[in-house]
Amino acid sequence: MDKLKNHVKELLESGEIAGFLGLIDDGGHPVPYLFTKEHLDRLDAMVVPDFRYPMTDILLRIVRKYPEETIGVMVRGCDDRALVELAKNQRIFPELVRPVGIACTKEMAEACRCSQPYPREIHYGEKVEGVNDRSDLAAVESKPLDERLDYWMGQFSKCIKCYGCRNICSMCFCDQCTLEDETLIMTGQSPPEIPIFHLIRAFHMAGRCIDCGLCEEACPAHIPLRSLYRKVREDMADYFGYVTGMDESEKDPLEFLGSEGYEVPSKIDET
Amino acid sequence: MADAEKGFEPKIIAFCCNWCSYAGADLAGSMRLKYPPNVLPIRVMCSGRISPHFILKAFQKGADGVLVTGCHYGDCHYIKGNYITKRRVTVMKDLLKFVGIDPRRLKSEWIAGSEGDKFARVATEFTEEIRALGPSPLRG
Ligand code: SF4
Ligand code: SF4
Ligand code: SF4
Ligand code: FES
Repeated sequence: MDKLKNHVKELLESGEIAGFLGLIDDGGHPVPYLFTKEHLDRLDAMVVPDFRYPMTDILLRIVRKYPEETIGVMVRGCDDRALVELAKNQRIFPELVRPVGIACTKEMAEACRCSQPYPREIHYGEKVEGVNDRSDLAAVESKPLDERLDYWMGQFSKCIKCYGCRNICSMCFCDQCTLEDETLIMTGQSPPEIPIFHLIRAFHMAGRCIDCGLCEEACPAHIPLRSLYRKVREDMADYFGYVTGMDESEKDPLEFLGSEGYEVPSKIDET
Repeated sequence: MADAEKGFEPKIIAFCCNWCSYAGADLAGSMRLKYPPNVLPIRVMCSGRISPHFILKAFQKGADGVLVTGCHYGDCHYIKGNYITKRRVTVMKDLLKFVGIDPRRLKSEWIAGSEGDKFARVATEFTEEIRALGPSPLRG
């Protein structure tokens, strides 16, 4: 921990970063805090809890307010993958963001069912192997089509349209949300139209979702949303070899053709 | 199919790009080629304009089948819109299937402006395929 604090301190003191978005202990609760050179003593209270606190949404607010400054940010694996996608989508300039990486524990990786519980560069913690488990998808796929639909419609019908899934998601950064576009979906009423409400979001997550699982955690109706996004994520990998959150220079194959291999490799079995 | 589905007339939305497949549909008409009245063509400028939301909305509103059509590869008037279309349709079919909607209800075909006969054939075959599948489970 001291090493981490010193690293942040050096970054601030040297002026490499104008501020560091991390977590601070506030009466026993870790809360986000922007550390600055002017109040280096506050670093004493900096904490790295053994649970996550999504950082990139807060980072986006800071970056919008201080567009010229370089900002440091504490990132776990999922936050770091979000940074990669935010850079691809021109929401941040990666050269103005300095990630300080935290590796998650085995317990966290298992709790999150996380395939990559560590960031690109690790400044704190020990790297542990990720969990690769598609049993949630397999469970759905083992059902015949009519049962699947019953299952999902049953799940979707629990939705109270709180938008929690969208609001928590680091990849939901659009200025205008299709879920509120009256030409595409019934607006101004709850419960929402199903399955379109959930399928629009699911399709959007193809080539976007970094599989952090926050949406599912946030959903008060306990809808297994993540499986939908994991399915399209798997598709993107199978069809196009595209995995989000890995490389800033890669482009979403649903938006950019690339320079070769336009045709979709076939995988579909039609029934 | 069950008795309840006797006399079932599928509702099919066919998205057609202005430059090829819509011209193909038009040609089918002027050649007096018959295709089923179940197929409702909707003209868009390019198959690349067919947002995945349009497909989802068609199903939400009770379409039994959705046909996505455009120019042949190499003929898209916006160069490569149809490749993106194909990719989207491919992923969409998988997503539909994952939630229990038969992916055969969504189909993509490339039809040139001169292929009135192809348009009529695709429309007819797709209608029969959907008829065999029965009404969409989302039809309220
Ligand atoms: S999703 Fe992965 S990287 Fe993110 S907090 Fe969980 S274990 Fe860590
Ligand atoms: S898992 Fe959920 S919250 Fe996380 S990126 Fe994907 S859709 Fe967004
Ligand atoms: S978080 Fe759950 S209940 Fe809220 S809008 Fe999303 S799916 Fe519906
Ligand atoms: S103009 Fe016909 S597919 Fe693009």
